[in-house]
Amino acid sequence: MSTAATLTQPRARRRLPVPTLLVALVAAAVLPPLIGRTPILSDPNALLLCRACAFGIAAISLNMLMGYAGQISLGQFAFVGIGSFATGMVTGVNDLRYPWLAGVAVAAAAGALLALLVGLPALRLRGLYLAVVTIAVAYAAWQWLFRFERIGGGSAGKVLPRPYFGTHVISGNADFLAISAVALVLIWWLDVNLVRSRFGRAFQAVKADERVAASFGVDVARYKLLAFMLSGAVAGIGGAIYGTAFGTVTGDTFDYSQSLLLVVIVVIGGLGSRIGVVAAAFFAILLPVWLHLVNGPFTSLFHHGIDGIALMLNALLLMYTIARHPDGLAGAVSEAREKRMRRRGGEPPLPPTRPNLPSLGRPRGMPEPTKLSSHRAVLEVTGVNVRFGGLRAVDDASIRVDRGTIVGLMGPNGAGKTTLFNAITGALRPDTGRIELLGQDVSELPAHARAALGVGRTFQLIGLVKGQSVYENLLIAQHLATPNGLLSGLTRVGSSRWYEREIRQRADATLEGLGFQRYASTPVGRLSHGQQRIVEIGCALVTSPELVMLDEPSSGMSPAAAEDLAATLRDMRDVLGRTILLIEHNVPLVLDVSDELYVMDAGQVIANGEPVEVVTRPEVVTAYLGVAPAREEARV
Amino acid sequence: MLQVLVLGLINGGIYAIFALGVVLVYRGTGVLTFAHGEIGTIALYFAYFLVAKVGLPWAAGALGAIALATLLGAAFEFLFVRRMVNADPVSTVVLTVGLGLFLLAAEFFFFGATPRNLEPPTNKYYFTIDNVVVRPWQVAALVLALALGFGLQSALRRSDFGLGILAAAQDPAAVRLVGVPLSRVTLTVWSVGAGLSGLAALLIEPSVGVVAPGYASELFVIGLAAAVVGGLTSLPGAFVGGVVLGLAQSASHRYLGSFGVTGLQYIVVLTILLVVLLGRAFAPEVRRRLARPHTGAPSATTAGATA
Repeated sequence: MSTAATLTQPRARRRLPVPTLLVALVAAAVLPPLIGRTPILSDPNALLLCRACAFGIAAISLNMLMGYAGQISLGQFAFVGIGSFATGMVTGVNDLRYPWLAGVAVAAAAGALLALLVGLPALRLRGLYLAVVTIAVAYAAWQWLFRFERIGGGSAGKVLPRPYFGTHVISGNADFLAISAVALVLIWWLDVNLVRSRFGRAFQAVKADERVAASFGVDVARYKLLAFMLSGAVAGIGGAIYGTAFGTVTGDTFDYSQSLLLVVIVVIGGLGSRIGVVAAAFFAILLPVWLHLVNGPFTSLFHHGIDGIALMLNALLLMYTIARHPDGLAGAVSEAREKRMRRRGGEPPLPPTRPNLPSLGRPRGMPEPTKLSSHRAVLEVTGVNVRFGGLRAVDDASIRVDRGTIVGLMGPNGAGKTTLFNAITGALRPDTGRIELLGQDVSELPAHARAALGVGRTFQLIGLVKGQSVYENLLIAQHLATPNGLLSGLTRVGSSRWYEREIRQRADATLEGLGFQRYASTPVGRLSHGQQRIVEIGCALVTSPELVMLDEPSSGMSPAAAEDLAATLRDMRDVLGRTILLIEHNVPLVLDVSDELYVMDAGQVIANGEPVEVVTRPEVVTAYLGVAPAREEARV
Repeated sequence: MLQVLVLGLINGGIYAIFALGVVLVYRGTGVLTFAHGEIGTIALYFAYFLVAKVGLPWAAGALGAIALATLLGAAFEFLFVRRMVNADPVSTVVLTVGLGLFLLAAEFFFFGATPRNLEPPTNKYYFTIDNVVVRPWQVAALVLALALGFGLQSALRRSDFGLGILAAAQDPAAVRLVGVPLSRVTLTVWSVGAGLSGLAALLIEPSVGVVAPGYASELFVIGLAAAVVGGLTSLPGAFVGGVVLGLAQSASHRYLGSFGVTGLQYIVVLTILLVVLLGRAFAPEVRRRLARPHTGAPSATTAGATA
């Protein structure tokens, strides 16, 4: 099997086509009852498998949050517990007596609601606050909420009746295993779709870098909350299965140690690896029992005795796994595969080609800025001030960028160029000043909303999701071009289908234009710095933004590649009709391509005008060289 | 009223000591630790072992416990945390969870699930304030937390190494540039943070009287919340956070005791935590809204103030 061939055809295998789903569903529904009627599958073992399915679902739920969105929950079993008790309250004989499926729906809703309640404050801030808050949730749920007679059923526990169809109650464990397995398959399928939808991609971007995600138009706070709510809903469904399998649950079923066990499962299985975490969940439940190590893994850790050795080994395995392979066992497997590939000669280097970006129209999913297109100034910045404590990073800066021009922004290190960039894109809020994009005052808009108006940008330190492939990055960058809803994204029915088709066509076209087809499935982090720059520019352009802001695009490029870059930039202006604001240290390049040049020093714009003339002005020379030399020297 | 105050301060001091350890580790390494509760518990077990099994005096047991906690922190830093400098913060957090689990298992393995009893020698000395029995170590805990919360920061400011600890998480490169080896900073904060957990566990155990596996973790969770309430980077903030949660807990116990069942303290802690985070998340937005009725006008007064 040739490596190049497998690399250029990467995407087709990843999807779970409907027939596979059907086969899996039928197998899950039919096999357990059949096998359960033979001596192969005993009744207790069937119950154990139900429990494993529930843990698998819970592991998928935590993986959505930790593996995809990069947020930590150390109290996931609070959500599983909420799901269980909610189901009991809806279906219970002494409660509402609604059908079981209604119970599952309420369980999902309850999980999502708790996540909303907790996540709204905890996810607004950057950092690991969610980890702390979820621990508190775990304790509060276990020690307080679940002890209410009405919710947790008191010391006797909550009774969750088995589902029934007509008069037939699914009482046998093997029969209920069919339902558990079907649920696991369905959740698995939703998770596959999630990863392939705009939502999963947005989560990946948020995990990699919140500012980069915002530059692609992702509303970071909202998507973190969405990830948490989805995770809570799925955990709730897991809880419904878990509780119904056992029939009776108490608050202590969902103690804090179970949440930690789930974290162990997800990390050892491999953050972001669906099959890894589900396998780890099954192992964690089945292995100790089948090896007769313990009565059940970590059964109610805080209350009864436990085989300390097994737990100690588990914890050591966890610590070793993280320190050695931060991506878990699944990561270790793919690492080994990669090493093997490299030994076989790796990928052939790409011959340097000049990127020839395709002329893509505005994506159908994005609004056409018709009424704004008559406006001449694409960007107008007036009197922007940014202070960091006592430091004036940007001091009363004003610049203007006209349509169809390339405007250069130069200045010594620390002059405030990137800070001004961040103020323009909304990555930070200036203390005072006004920013107008396409004739609209955006000073109060967050970064993702400004991106939606048509601003693409690159970052000084590469704004890409390094762990994902080039192709995947081109899809992530088109977040704004897929305005389909969550439901459509999760089921791949409806509008998401053709939005997805469109952005894949655009990604293909861009890939071809960049000459990067061979690297389609290569993780961005493995490309050279200069190649990453090219991909980043491709990503910034793939939604055809009105204004493209490039932060030192030539850094890390060879002189030859930098020359190509000049031609590419001109193409972007002349062929694609883009407007470009460019931070650049490479003076010949700036002078070569810019129509107008601004020079900043110590936070202030000290000069602007025709590029070749501006760089000879004494104040500019002073800013760069420190003293004002004689005029002849400055000309050199 | 006085009763609530006294009880709240006593517990708040303990939470504050846990919170101080959390903040110290966070400032020195940028890592949020979830292991320090279990470090405290195992230290307490070690004290029990030294006093009850070996027959050493209580003071020697206590010293041994703090030494063990310190050593555990140092070993964990040396063996694991050091390798995670460039890792995802999620991985490092899970690593500390792993240590907590490991120690918990060790407690079960070596001492079993049966609660053990460790009496300090000073248990017969006490005084009462408004019918609340106050014992010397409880006063000691509060004084210690106060001294550490307000003294440590200024003490650290006095030396390059101390400044290195305060600045390490924010700017590791700068710490190296002033000649402070970063590895020594992380080793120190992990050791000291762990030692503080051992101390906190020792100071609260007499009030409860017994030690069981996972014992200090439940207190540590509140300490962790206190650290977040106090801002996560401020040592005085950690003290304030601890006292606030202690007071809230005793007040809720007194005035809401009939509402619900046990475990009321956790819902109180959770509520305060969420409210504080909510406030912090939306404060900049609110401040901007208030400051911006006369928007758009660049401040003319400050223009050109710097050359």
